Amino acid sequence: MGKILRVNLTAKSLNVEKTSEDVARKYLGGKGYAVYLIYRYLREYEKAGTSPKDIDALGPKNVLIFATGPGTGVPGFPSSGRYHVMALRSPLTGSIGSANSGGEFGPFLKFSGFDMIVVEGASETPVYLAIVDGEAELRDASSLWGKNVFDTCRMLMDKVGGKNTSVACIGPAGENLAYMACIMNDDHRAAGRTGLGAVMGSKKLKAIVVSGDEKVPVAERERFSEVSKRCLDAMKNNPVTGVGLPTYGTAILINIINTAGGLPYKNWQTGVNPDAEKISGETLAETYLISRRSCWGCPIGCGRVTSVKSGPFQVLASEGPEYESIWALGSSTAVKDLDAVVKANHYCDEFGLDPISMGSTIAAAMELNEKGCIPTEDLQGLDLRFGNSAALVEAVWRTAYKAGFGKYLALGSKKLCEIYGHPELSMSVKGLEMPAYDPRAIKGIGLNYATANRGGCHVTGYTVSPEVLGIPEKIDPIKAEGKAKWVKIFQDFTCVVNSTVNCLFTTFALGAKDYAELLSAVTGWKLTEDEILKIGERIYNLERVIINKYGFDGKDDTLPKRLLEEPMPEGPAKGQVTELEEMKGEYYKLRGWVNGVPTKEKLAELEIEL
Amino acid sequence: MTTVSVKILLFATLRSKYKTRELTVACNGTLLSMIESAAKLLGPEFIDDVYDRKKGKARNDMIIMVNGRNIKDLEGEITLKDNDVVAIFPPLAGG
Repeated sequence: MGKILRVNLTAKSLNVEKTSEDVARKYLGGKGYAVYLIYRYLREYEKAGTSPKDIDALGPKNVLIFATGPGTGVPGFPSSGRYHVMALRSPLTGSIGSANSGGEFGPFLKFSGFDMIVVEGASETPVYLAIVDGEAELRDASSLWGKNVFDTCRMLMDKVGGKNTSVACIGPAGENLAYMACIMNDDHRAAGRTGLGAVMGSKKLKAIVVSGDEKVPVAERERFSEVSKRCLDAMKNNPVTGVGLPTYGTAILINIINTAGGLPYKNWQTGVNPDAEKISGETLAETYLISRRSCWGCPIGCGRVTSVKSGPFQVLASEGPEYESIWALGSSTAVKDLDAVVKANHYCDEFGLDPISMGSTIAAAMELNEKGCIPTEDLQGLDLRFGNSAALVEAVWRTAYKAGFGKYLALGSKKLCEIYGHPELSMSVKGLEMPAYDPRAIKGIGLNYATANRGGCHVTGYTVSPEVLGIPEKIDPIKAEGKAKWVKIFQDFTCVVNSTVNCLFTTFALGAKDYAELLSAVTGWKLTEDEILKIGERIYNLERVIINKYGFDGKDDTLPKRLLEEPMPEGPAKGQVTELEEMKGEYYKLRGWVNGVPTKEKLAELEIEL
Repeated sequence: MTTVSVKILLFATLRSKYKTRELTVACNGTLLSMIESAAKLLGPEFIDDVYDRKKGKARNDMIIMVNGRNIKDLEGEITLKDNDVVAIFPPLAGG
């Protein structure tokens, strides 16, 4: 097993401990291992008399965990260039903090000598953590504080140099504690969701730079080569991972989701965007695409390198925007000018903001403003109307610097809409803005949003895959019946993927059996398909136990009123609402939960020791 | 059978291959007749790109939506009506 670096920023201490094989056998690594550690921290706090509900997400008691898994950085393990970040609490939601990112940082962290970094406490002055060839050191970051993401990455790459060097950092948004600030790595890659950049900012931890060339162990080399070859061939020959994603990236979804009537438009007032074609993946490829960029060890290469060649939103070179970013910054705001969307997305990367929560918060502000709910003096000249490209781009940088109305936007849509008297206009679950699929047209994803532990999230259980894309089989998106079992299995399997840690897109071509074989060969453990799904279920349940401690239960497993009560006004799902209660009842039964809380019997069955 | 006019929309690699975003065809209301009418404009390859002749139905990997509803989710034989919009996507995904 490998090593875990435990950093205490208050005491400026660095301790190295061994990764526990017992814990890894039950929780794998990545997200699973981090969930286990978070639970132990909460138990320690409780023993010391601190209720989990009293932990301030932006205070020194919060803990930030950067985690790789058994697949990360293993050459030949398909698309294993990722890492997972977790925190006890998210400033945006008050629930568990959780995000995942690609690029090079995950594998290079492992090559530097560590499986995980656990960050406790808070520094009084800006610091960065350098890990080079197994040696870790906290260094002064005064000269980096205030720098944007690209400059921070460049300066630290220059300073540290060496082989396999990568930087994860925050931009101004994280420093200024914007609640949807993210952790960026390798310039354009983001651990985007739940505001973990603000947690890093609250600890005055500007960056982590990793470098090294330690080899990642593989227990059964020969067996692994065989399984790896078969899985890589399957991905190459799969029309989605072999052709669709490499050719068009994720933005190709804009037109199909819009055709299905599920592309939220104007803060989810409808699921049909009349201008979808203008912001589609096809348009991005025809007009903006320069080249592709793959994460470390990935045969798919879905990343887009793009530019806006001229005009007010000129960007010489950027990456993305992804489907989610185009939707949030474009469709939800009704901005049909893709130049502006690319620019707004570029600013999100430069300043370190989650484009989903950013775009969705701007869209909520636009609806509030058009309904006359925001006093003119609060807006300070920001002309927030649906479709206003210039206002979109301006709103992003104002949020990062909390300038003018940006100080309200930086709170996220839930708090923003509460301040202006219309909480129902925040299109969020548990305070996390939902991604780009309207559950009135795609029912299963609605149940997933409602029950996702980190809040409104699509990649907790991506049932859009069977519901719209027909992978692994086609099910009807507008029927609620039978969706609970799909949501449960997708959520459990995704926990396995995020604990491995590798890319969810592999699951368009690979199933749980493939994962069991890959993991068995790498670890030397004999894991079956059923066993890894049980591990996934264990992780999901322990994560649920954690959020129960913060006060989240069945009452919070819900959706915004608009999706439950306002019938879809047009398109193929016209007249539909989300039959959440019907699906949720079945889901809780399958999960062994009562009112969103796992029963003792279920926890015992999953061998979760509390 | 009555002749109906149907709008076909092509996406992703189908759009780039046939250099066509949309076309309107006349057909007898069956999926095959619509595809055959489109093939007269796009070229004969179009039939095999979207239709499985052996099985006598649309190719399983194609995503074909009539007025936004996937034909796999519609019950019974597909009968196209005048002014229906048929969107055809190759296998794709994202997230």
